[in-house]
Amino acid sequence: MTQKPLELILARNLMSALSTPAFLVDEGGVLVFYNEAAGILLGKRFEELGTVGADEWGSLFGPFDESGEPIPYDELPLVVAVRNGRPAHADFEISSVDGTRHRVEASAFPILTAHGSQGAIAVFWPAGSSNGAAA
Amino acid sequence: MKVKLWGTRGSIPSPGPETIRYGGNTSCVGVTLSDGSMLALDAGTGIRSLGLALAAEPARLHILLTHLHLDHIQGLVFFAPAFRAQTEIVIWGPASPEASLRDRIARYVSAPLSPVEVRELPCDVSFRHCPEAEWEIGPARIRAASVAHRGPTLGYRIDDGDSSLAYIPDHEPALGADIDALEEDWISGLGLARNASLLIHDGQYTDAEYPDHIGWGHSSLSHAISFARRAGADRTLLFHHDPMHTDAQLDALGLAVRERWAEAGGAAGGMELAEEGAEYELPARAASAASAT
Repeated sequence: MTQKPLELILARNLMSALSTPAFLVDEGGVLVFYNEAAGILLGKRFEELGTVGADEWGSLFGPFDESGEPIPYDELPLVVAVRNGRPAHADFEISSVDGTRHRVEASAFPILTAHGSQGAIAVFWPAGSSNGAAA
Repeated sequence: MKVKLWGTRGSIPSPGPETIRYGGNTSCVGVTLSDGSMLALDAGTGIRSLGLALAAEPARLHILLTHLHLDHIQGLVFFAPAFRAQTEIVIWGPASPEASLRDRIARYVSAPLSPVEVRELPCDVSFRHCPEAEWEIGPARIRAASVAHRGPTLGYRIDDGDSSLAYIPDHEPALGADIDALEEDWISGLGLARNASLLIHDGQYTDAEYPDHIGWGHSSLSHAISFARRAGADRTLLFHHDPMHTDAQLDALGLAVRERWAEAGGAAGGMELAEEGAEYELPARAASAASAT
């Protein structure tokens, strides 16, 4: 058993208590958790989906730009945060499993520790809203 | 590997007639490795007695600090070997982005809190941040990992031959989590404790006390039992006793622990309360539990 870094464990525990959709990736960009609010947004609970590889989760949910085109993986806030170790923000559309599109703003920040980057967290807000209630 | 408990109390020393059997000294566990090398796990007030017992030996020893709360370092300036020029002491501890381990310890080992400064210690003392990867001390492989507590805090695992000791004295693995439901790799500290010959783990609060102390960095009895059950250690000692718990209260708690452990399907003698002065010889991990001496 390889234990997750404590910072990811604590991040998951915090995210589990939030009503704001939030996503957690590890240092390799693997989607290791998203919370219930994110599950509502996506139409699928994390427990049903499980972890998703770095090259897979983008294609599952989008995201899409204003013209409906998929946004390149390298430009996604979570990817920027985990690869470059800096915060990133963007607005785009994501697709739930039933095909419904949701326009959201996403802010991602890296989880940096004494041992380097351990991953990143992204929090989603419905575009134009002032709080993080699920769209 | 031999283990002796020199201090089992948490938070603050609590000497007195009501704490004689379980002890009033704060966290310190002495470990003698198979080649005779000596480790001290934490340097609470219990390390004073350890230092006295060591007499003029050994020439070199390692102190592994889980964190720098006072109940884990208070005994450093009363540790006799630190005042012998022929002694070499290596102090290991958690890294912090704020200051070096030496500088953080020096906040305590300096005026006005201490009569001596680190630079005045006659011994040859050095300070090392625990690496992320496993390292070796004598015949033992040491692993440190961050665990859920307040501030940078480590748990340790020491493997010597086929026997292993996991030491996680300050730990709140159930903070914001249901450790009965979580996958194993998402439980703080479980990677250190997995299948250890002996697990020394936080058991500070009763279930009734815990709700008033959520987030303080310690375990309730139920959380400790769940953690130990998930860890699968041969034997678990509940440690870091609350300073308000008397011997009589700990006796009652110990009875509850044994009953709850049995109800959870644990083997007889698999979980008990740590008592100051108790000694254990850890056999190669097998079906038999660590034997108390």
